[in-house]
Amino acid sequence: MTRLLQLIGLAAVLALSLLFAVVAGDYAPWYFAWIVGTVMIVLIATCGAVLFETQETSRADGRDAGF
Amino acid sequence: MELYAILKLIWAGLLGILLIGLGVMMGMDMGVGTLLRFVGRNDGERRTALNIIGPHWEGNQVWFILGGGAIFAAFPTLYATSFSTFYVVMILLLFSMIMRPVAFEYRSKVPGNTWRETWDWAFLVSGALPMIIYGAAFGNVLQGVGFHFDWTAQYHQDESFIWYLLNPFAILCGLLSLALSIQQGGAMLMLRGVKPIYSRARTYASAAGLIAAVLFVLGGVWIQFIRGFVFTGTVNPAMESTPLGGPAVAMQTGAWMHNFHAMPILWVLPILGVASMVLTSVALRANKPGLGWWLGALSWVGTIGTAGVAMFPFLMPSTTNPAQSLTVWNATSSNYTLICMLIVAGIFVPLIICYTAWCFSVMRGKVRVEDVVHDEHSY
Amino acid sequence: MDHGVVDLSRLQFALTALYHFQFVPLTLGMTFLLAAMETVYVITGKQIYKDMTQFWGKLFGINFAIGVATGLTMEFEFGTNWSMYSHFMGDVFGAPLAIEGMMAFFLESTFVGLMFFGWNRLSRGGHLAVTYLVALGSNLSALWILVANGFMQDPVGATFNPDTMRMEFTNFAALVFSEDAQAKFVHTSIAGFVTGAMFVMGISAYYMLRKQHREFAARSFRMAALFGVISSLAVVTLGDALGRLDYLVQPTKLAAMEGIWHTTTPPSAPWTAFAIPDDVAQKNYAEINIPYVLGPLVAHSFTTAVPGIIDLEQKAKVDTVNGIKAVMALHQYSEDKDPAALATFRQYEQTMGYGFLAQRYAPDQDLSKLTADNLPAVLDRTARETIPNVFVEFWGFRLMVACGFAFVVVFALGAYYSLRNKLETQRWLLRASMWAIPLPIIACEYGWIVAENGRQPWTVYGWLPTYMSASSHTVGYMIFSLIGFVLLYSAFIAAELYLMFKFARLGPTEHAAPKPVEGAGPATFSRPGYAEKSWQ
Repeated sequence: MTRLLQLIGLAAVLALSLLFAVVAGDYAPWYFAWIVGTVMIVLIATCGAVLFETQETSRADGRDAGF
Repeated sequence: MELYAILKLIWAGLLGILLIGLGVMMGMDMGVGTLLRFVGRNDGERRTALNIIGPHWEGNQVWFILGGGAIFAAFPTLYATSFSTFYVVMILLLFSMIMRPVAFEYRSKVPGNTWRETWDWAFLVSGALPMIIYGAAFGNVLQGVGFHFDWTAQYHQDESFIWYLLNPFAILCGLLSLALSIQQGGAMLMLRGVKPIYSRARTYASAAGLIAAVLFVLGGVWIQFIRGFVFTGTVNPAMESTPLGGPAVAMQTGAWMHNFHAMPILWVLPILGVASMVLTSVALRANKPGLGWWLGALSWVGTIGTAGVAMFPFLMPSTTNPAQSLTVWNATSSNYTLICMLIVAGIFVPLIICYTAWCFSVMRGKVRVEDVVHDEHSY
Repeated sequence: MDHGVVDLSRLQFALTALYHFQFVPLTLGMTFLLAAMETVYVITGKQIYKDMTQFWGKLFGINFAIGVATGLTMEFEFGTNWSMYSHFMGDVFGAPLAIEGMMAFFLESTFVGLMFFGWNRLSRGGHLAVTYLVALGSNLSALWILVANGFMQDPVGATFNPDTMRMEFTNFAALVFSEDAQAKFVHTSIAGFVTGAMFVMGISAYYMLRKQHREFAARSFRMAALFGVISSLAVVTLGDALGRLDYLVQPTKLAAMEGIWHTTTPPSAPWTAFAIPDDVAQKNYAEINIPYVLGPLVAHSFTTAVPGIIDLEQKAKVDTVNGIKAVMALHQYSEDKDPAALATFRQYEQTMGYGFLAQRYAPDQDLSKLTADNLPAVLDRTARETIPNVFVEFWGFRLMVACGFAFVVVFALGAYYSLRNKLETQRWLLRASMWAIPLPIIACEYGWIVAENGRQPWTVYGWLPTYMSASSHTVGYMIFSLIGFVLLYSAFIAAELYLMFKFARLGPTEHAAPKPVEGAGPATFSRPGYAEKSWQ
């Protein structure tokens, strides 16, 4: 039951986001691009740091971190 | 009454609330700045005093910025005319205001004695001067200002700026505003400070409350002898918002008392003002800084409320062309803008009050010297 | 109107705006970069990311204070120096400024205090949320300022009301969703991201060059380089979008930016990569042209012509003749409310701004004194006046674009070597990153100059000339305030640079091996760099 509610909640968020994307895409394409782009930029910087930690760990283990 | 007239009234009320908010929140920080050199006798104590408002001064300062922004949006002609006619005074205010953020951020970052002393003086100037100018602006507006408009609605100034600075009634109002800010700042220092800051702040703030009450009464007597302004032509509150071609206005001594005679209930405001100034002193003396803070805020309500209802509906009367005086009816934005801004303010002002209160509650509690001097992040 | 006062008012506004804009981009970018660092701290729980957030946060704070202080000036100068502008446009222009205060500035300023002082009083997630709110607040602030600026470039959502003698607001959505506002906001905000990323990357490179704080610097460099590489690509994309908008709504600005004197002939119209434009002779010297590039570059088309300055001036003359009729009818209407005058005004309303512009050159600044004899000379001068300074536009634009492409290269190389963990072998790249720290700020300033100088001679494009917008002050007032600003601002920049260099050189203090426990008491005080806030 909890899982079902979670799924419904997520579906609602998804539907709202899609609706938002469609409306924003029509009226405010650049604002929409900023929202998506900023989230992406922050996430990529974050992922870079997490990758850095993984590379460090592998190097400490003696394996080639590789990329 | 037409919708446009009602909107103008609402915005006149909001302008009052904003000016009160500005007086309370910014005045509190300015009071701390003014008292800094007196409540703190050494560097550690001064840093403690600064860190009492440290987490909040930036938010409080926005009241000042919002004051400018809201007058711009809701009363564009008032914004344009008042800021330009008071040019030299406004620039002095601006210079002292822009010293503050820098002083906060830079003062304690370098250990040198001269460096810190310099910034402490900057705090004194940037605390006292803006409050004096804030009050003096009210004083000047109450006496009327010399300006007129040409056909394109460009204003022209008809008197020298020296008058705005060296004008006895304006200086009285300036000192009243300074005293109120010291009272408010002192209450805050008591709320979050410990000995010896606490006891020094108590001395200064409770004295300031009594001085404010005396100045307020003195101003009330003085206003009887000042030329006020009254409409002699027919007024249409829903008129097109322009200072050109409005109804006739006459200047009469004591005219600022007309509203009080017409509606005796308005006497509540000046009584509230004097009573809360005195009671603030009493509360602070009785070591109840929380109560004192709120009573101090009520003093601002009483003071600005009194000035507002005395002048209503005038905002900035003109002595050289009274018919072009700026009023609540002729200096606002258009109907559409007032509606838009009302919706925005209706959403965001309650939100601002909520998260400001939350921030204060997160940072509540006493600030001690030993915490401050050992903390890299403190001011 | 005294021309000296107008010029001094312009000088003061330009100086204070450019000064303010040195600090803004760094705030816009650093806040999101700090939020990203703190996000890693919350995800991984590694102390070093908290150290990073706090150290870069301290440098951010030094910058933020002066940005706020100088921002006050901007808000007040509209009233103190541009009273006619504030009256004429305030009904529309004041709204976004007030919304900026309510929606963004309060958010940013209230939470920035918690961001610095709330580490021990909030949960990790709570503090992270506060940092994101500060980042969002500072960028929303930029949004509303640029919505206001968008109205000056492309006035939409308002009409002129002859009874109140001002532009009145008619459409909120049109103002907020104006294309110019949208593109300019994204361009400016992301340019801030580039500035913030370059700042962090450059200082990290400095530590790596000196082999100090290596753990700290390598991580900061990695995050900043990735943050910057996408931001710099986005800035270039948005720059192109803005150029196209200028082509559509501000042809004089575009012609000046590209140094186009004569209307081009598609499809072979060349793009001028280098030239020395001469505003007086109205031609370019020493041109280096690349054929077939201009059309697709600015109009995104091979078939449309781009109008040149000389033809735009001819069009301006026609508008000026009509505009003079509009202004004279308006003046008459303001005196006697004559419906016939109003009808004439309505007929020529769209060109009213050109009438005001011509007023400056009319005898005694009075349009009724224009005769068949002196009209042609006035028309010539007015038409010349409608073109912004071409040399400034042409070179300001090119320097900004050159910087933009340079950032893409530096960030891309930085990201590449950082991902391969081979940075320390590329000392030239580290040196380049370090020296590039001020470049994004310079590029931002050039962008501002191109946008605002290119808007001249208008404060609101096509509606209100700059010379009419100023307050009727005396020269003495202006000299007083200018001297004050120069003295105060010079002192500030000296203090700011001194502190920035001091703290950047000092660097973060490394943590000893046993990591202090979150919120530990006085034990942490022995390491001032990372002392936790302890209040109780």
